[in-house]
Amino acid sequence: MLGKLTLSAIPLDQPVPLVAGAVVALIVLGVIAWVVIAGHLPYLWREWITSVDHKRIGAMYCILALVMLIRGFSDAILMRSQHAVAYKAGGYLPPEHYDQIFSAHGVIMIFFGAMPFMIGLMNFAVPLQLGVRDVAFPTLNSVSFWLTASGALLVNVSLVVGEFARTGWWPAPPLSEVTYSPGVGVDYYLWAIQISGVGTLLSGVNLVTTILKMRAPGMSYLRMPMFCWTALASNLLIIAAFPILTATLAMLILDRYLGFHFFTDSHGGNSMMFMNLFWAWGHPEVYILALPAYGVFSEVISTFSGKPLFAYRSMVMATMAIFILSFMVWLHHFFTMGPGGDVNGVFAITSMIIAVPTGVKIFDWLFTMYGGRVRLTTAMLWSLGFMVTFVVGGATGVLLAIPPADFVLHNSMFLVAHFHNVMVSAVLFGAFAGYTYWFPKAFGFRLDEWWGKAAFWFGITGFVIVFGCFYWLGLLGMTRRMQHYDVADWRPWILISAFGVVVMFVGLVCQVVQLVVSIRRRDSLRDVTGDPWDGRSLEWATASPPPVFNFAALPEVHGEEAYWAIKSRAREQMRLREEPAYEPIEMPLNSPTGFICAFFSTLIGFAMIWYIWWLAAAGFLGAFVTFVVFAWRDTVEYEIPASEVAKVNRANRSTRLEALHGAGQRRAA
Amino acid sequence: MSHADHADAEGLDRHQTEVAPGEEFAEEDIGKGIRGYLIGLALAALLTVCSFAIVHAKFVWAPAVPVAVIVFAIAQMGVHLVFFLHITTGPDNINNVMALAFGVLFVVLLIGGSVWIMSNMNSNMMPAMPPSSSPQSSQPSMPMIQPMRH
Repeated sequence: MLGKLTLSAIPLDQPVPLVAGAVVALIVLGVIAWVVIAGHLPYLWREWITSVDHKRIGAMYCILALVMLIRGFSDAILMRSQHAVAYKAGGYLPPEHYDQIFSAHGVIMIFFGAMPFMIGLMNFAVPLQLGVRDVAFPTLNSVSFWLTASGALLVNVSLVVGEFARTGWWPAPPLSEVTYSPGVGVDYYLWAIQISGVGTLLSGVNLVTTILKMRAPGMSYLRMPMFCWTALASNLLIIAAFPILTATLAMLILDRYLGFHFFTDSHGGNSMMFMNLFWAWGHPEVYILALPAYGVFSEVISTFSGKPLFAYRSMVMATMAIFILSFMVWLHHFFTMGPGGDVNGVFAITSMIIAVPTGVKIFDWLFTMYGGRVRLTTAMLWSLGFMVTFVVGGATGVLLAIPPADFVLHNSMFLVAHFHNVMVSAVLFGAFAGYTYWFPKAFGFRLDEWWGKAAFWFGITGFVIVFGCFYWLGLLGMTRRMQHYDVADWRPWILISAFGVVVMFVGLVCQVVQLVVSIRRRDSLRDVTGDPWDGRSLEWATASPPPVFNFAALPEVHGEEAYWAIKSRAREQMRLREEPAYEPIEMPLNSPTGFICAFFSTLIGFAMIWYIWWLAAAGFLGAFVTFVVFAWRDTVEYEIPASEVAKVNRANRSTRLEALHGAGQRRAA
Repeated sequence: MSHADHADAEGLDRHQTEVAPGEEFAEEDIGKGIRGYLIGLALAALLTVCSFAIVHAKFVWAPAVPVAVIVFAIAQMGVHLVFFLHITTGPDNINNVMALAFGVLFVVLLIGGSVWIMSNMNSNMMPAMPPSSSPQSSQPSMPMIQPMRH
């Protein structure tokens, strides 16, 4: 009846995950109880859970990412503290548990921290920057988000029911085959990633369609803000690369469930084929994450330098060059696993070439700041921190792209330091820069600058300490994924890196305090005009938070930096644009389809993990019925009357006019 | 950048009518559409018949048969792209042509790269060893690779 699921699946013998899981479950139950008792459930259901508004979905992606980043960071704390005490001793985490922690850390940070954060920022900002009302397929967008959340839920369920993979974040066969990993850990990995992977693919299709097909009048490709370009490249990569991951994991599922031999040791299977296919997805994935972050930095640096982006077209070219090249370098992830010198040589050269367009971007950002009036806000600090630390990570990447050097350094802490150096400084710093930059647009008030800057300084200091030590530990010969060690030379560096994690933790606390303080002081941080940073692209042309229809009338675009042109004219003439002729606007109706689909997907995933076949079939049937009900719906849109549109727009126009006159008087005085 | 200019013109035309997400455009001439599909069907069927016929034909030099079948197959793809997927060279079709080009590029990179990498690794491998009987005796961190069966 319940397949492999018995009471023994709850790890009563392992106190650490059980206590952690119980605390998390209590917090979640407490929050749900508070929501229900305080009567927020109808609001939450109406305005968020069933919302198909790209801004709400983007915000929910970012909230999911923030929560999962904290979960992934707690794994990092466990690993660092284990290393701090596991010198010539077993430490407090037994090997089979330590293996799950480093696997979960990687999986959560990549798939449920970095990915939702970047997709959330793109979801939120791209339609606004393009000057349109929503993404191409609003309900599909909601389905994508809830499927991602479903995957995240499955990973967290593995904490208390069963176990997680012990294979590392890429489940390399034959270790991940049923012979060597008979438990449910790898199955949790596979189904969580398959379900959220479908969500990611749908999201990629959605955003590419939006960018290619739905731009404001006059917004040609070469007038799009840089963030839209990087979002286009990133989502094209999602469409090209994620099917490879899904197919590869599907083959591993067939191996594990039905006794196939794609990647097994025997019967003609070939585990290197898994490596090959996984990294053919895995390297584009790096750029799927990094490219939107580059876009965020472009927007932030240009805005806070008060200048247009330097050499916009070279930035577009660099972005598209990275897009193509990212599909030509994947072998550098397994230089040492069998390919000959000629193959290694070709992929080494392409790996070094891909550093060139990235270098072009760094110079473009530097020259954007050159001669500008740079304002050192929190978002700008994250961008500057990125530029300084990312150059180091890029340089060690070029070093590792040399196969002889890689033969010395592979599998060491040097490699771990390298990929954290690039991923944290590009993706995480980019995520925080974008979070601080677009927060007032999303919620109508700015984040507190003092706590934001504190979070930046503690965050980057801790980051440099931890991964500086890792580079050195790698050169001292420490390999990755060790549960304990007995080399005296490593000891001081491991203790310093543990101290670094404490500093990063202070940064995390500052980040949380920043949010709490900002919400409490939201009235004094209010963004009344909708343009808090003196921005240059169209998202700042509407109110904060934007009305559900984004723009009362779609803006006409006559050049690059569409909003800057509108604003400059308003400042010269001391009056706003002509008021548009208001017309009723049709917007898509909210739909619970995404939430219900994800509910059934979670059932399918959980049932497949525990071999509960009837439940899997029931979940599949439920998901299909949900789809049919949605496909046969009668009304798809509702109309917002012209008077309502006019009222919303006039409110924003009056505050903007006030600000314009205020600024004019200050200039005159 | 002529691509962007074409797309720009297209974007302007479309947005003047201000179509909301998910809304359908007006139906085009249905008779013309059906004629296109019928021509495509006839050509596709003809190419299929040809490739079956040439395999059985006595008058073709045997080594030329596979080449001819490949030529017919590629022509078949062309017919499908033009008549069923409506890939044209017109300015309103830039996105589709670009998508096709990127798709072909990535498939060639992935399949070509994989074949090259895997054959290179196979030729560098030691001869196959008998599979280990117990999990303890093998080292999971260094997977033992066996050549693919050809």
